[in-house]
Amino acid sequence: MATAGERAKGRGAGGNGGQQSPSAHRPPRSGVGDEVGHAGHPLYRRGLLKSGISALVLFLAAGMPYAIARFLAPAASRPAPRHNAKVSPRPRNRMRPPGALADDAAFIAACIGCGLCGEVCPPRAIVFHAREGGGAVNTPYIDPEARACTLCGKCMPVCPTEALTVVPREKIDMGLAQIDRTACYPWVDRGICGACVSVCPLGERAIGFKQWNQYKPLVRKGCVGCGLCVEVCPHPSKPIWIVDRSEGSVAKHSI
Amino acid sequence: MKEHASTQAGTAVHKPFFLWRHLNKLRWVVLSLVFSMLVLLPMLHLYQTYVAAHAYDLLAPSEKRLYDAMELLTSPFVSDPEKQLDAVKGTTWSGTLFGLKLSDPLAVVGQMAAGLTIYWPFLVTALIPIGFTVVFGRFFCGWICPATFLYELNSNIAGWLHWAGFRIGGRRFDKRIKYGVLALGVVVSAATGSIAFAAIYPPAIIGREIYYAVALSGFGAGAAFFAGTLLFDLLVARRGFCRYLCPGGALYSLLGRYRLVRIRRIVESCNDCAKCNVVCEFGLDPLRDGFGQECNNCTACIAVCPTDAMTFVLRPTDVPPQGPGHLGRQYRRAMEKAAGEAAGRERDRGARAAGDGESTSRPEREEAA
Repeated sequence: MATAGERAKGRGAGGNGGQQSPSAHRPPRSGVGDEVGHAGHPLYRRGLLKSGISALVLFLAAGMPYAIARFLAPAASRPAPRHNAKVSPRPRNRMRPPGALADDAAFIAACIGCGLCGEVCPPRAIVFHAREGGGAVNTPYIDPEARACTLCGKCMPVCPTEALTVVPREKIDMGLAQIDRTACYPWVDRGICGACVSVCPLGERAIGFKQWNQYKPLVRKGCVGCGLCVEVCPHPSKPIWIVDRSEGSVAKHSI
Repeated sequence: MKEHASTQAGTAVHKPFFLWRHLNKLRWVVLSLVFSMLVLLPMLHLYQTYVAAHAYDLLAPSEKRLYDAMELLTSPFVSDPEKQLDAVKGTTWSGTLFGLKLSDPLAVVGQMAAGLTIYWPFLVTALIPIGFTVVFGRFFCGWICPATFLYELNSNIAGWLHWAGFRIGGRRFDKRIKYGVLALGVVVSAATGSIAFAAIYPPAIIGREIYYAVALSGFGAGAAFFAGTLLFDLLVARRGFCRYLCPGGALYSLLGRYRLVRIRRIVESCNDCAKCNVVCEFGLDPLRDGFGQECNNCTACIAVCPTDAMTFVLRPTDVPPQGPGHLGRQYRRAMEKAAGEAAGRERDRGARAAGDGESTSRPEREEAA
């Protein structure tokens, strides 16, 4: 690339035309031809580089306080991880897919919104915050009342980021099923059902019947909160739902 | 002019490989393929779920139509659609191609900024795109990007409007704005902890929104943003989002700054017609050798050049400005002026024939002087 000095020299020589030049048919560079052929581009590129770099440095410098603040005070700028947080007693109808990072802020930071997990989900349980969610827009969730996860495990290996990591089926933690014994048909002696027990993909270690009673369902420790029981529950008010797992105890979850 | 024709013959001007002026058609084929795959993949996903459910009889009539169409389309290639159709999944933002995970480098940058960590398995998925970008420059923008497919069609509409008398969309801004958008996106991602690029990067938006529209409940918020960029391109600046605002384009421009494969003007056969400048979607200046880091090797200028004066060259920087094209009026006038000033016309013609016979590269001599 020619330096500015060389270009200036060339321009000066061109201004003198053919008088100094050894080869007479070298095109003189002056006037319009000079404008068209030479001006602008290399200077523009150098200016672009300079101001581009300075703009970059400026923006990064402006952002440094934020980045440092986030590094130094993670507890202040993001919600605490779930195992420290107070367990919400409310039913969860926006569960992250299986294998998701426990800390939802970390999940949002890791998820690039590519939609791959939804695109491989056979029951199409994984849907996305398409129009709502603020910073969590385009992140996946499962609404077990609409369509529940079948624990097929196809979403975890397909995720390109650490948002979903491959977890064995029994170690998945999407929550824990909780049964309202004041509404569930067998529990209030309004008939026989057992839909939740028969649909559970994890079987006896996750949900079973109360001993000596064939139809009153009980959630057990192995439940991972896939929500299939919620989806199939025939009761109109859905007296079974998924709640946060509180330190692995099932007893606390009985009503 | 006659003299120049004879000098052309004498110096054996470099002619570009004849297929290169057809690369633009290939590019449109690639763009159409990528876009149609983005439309097809959600439908194939639906088909897969229908197959997995083993309940064809329970499908609604519209679902049965989709099932039949997809079965017709895929049955020659796969025997077990439920599993084998998993081979191609995802979008250009991130996807799986026959077991190979590929991700957009911008996704990696955004994710690193949002999480303030580096997740190596994800970074690795972007290495192949990064490698191609280092060699071919901003090729994604011209050859792959599903937004480019729509933006170029949009540019055609703008052309028709222009032809009909609407003088709109001619604004020009500073191309450096997009580097600011890239930096700002990194800062915002780091500050908010969510990947800001995913919401404003058109190819990511398109892949996602097509999936939302086909397989889920309808378009999301990104569709409105993308429609806004289409209007911006149409009414304010041609290809304005790509030229001035796209953070992905900024990243690829930086990665492809010293790309090896670039387009070069052959000054000996250029006639200064400036069609290359008109056709350039990114508002570059091929006529004055001003490609720079922004060129996406889309080859539109090669395809449009009437004198075959555009070719590919393997070098890490652009050739320095070569001056007016040798078939153009400016060069001829300058030559005649120089000839007139130097000596008599007859003597000069003789010297020219002799001089040009031994010189192979005029620009180099000019630079040396």
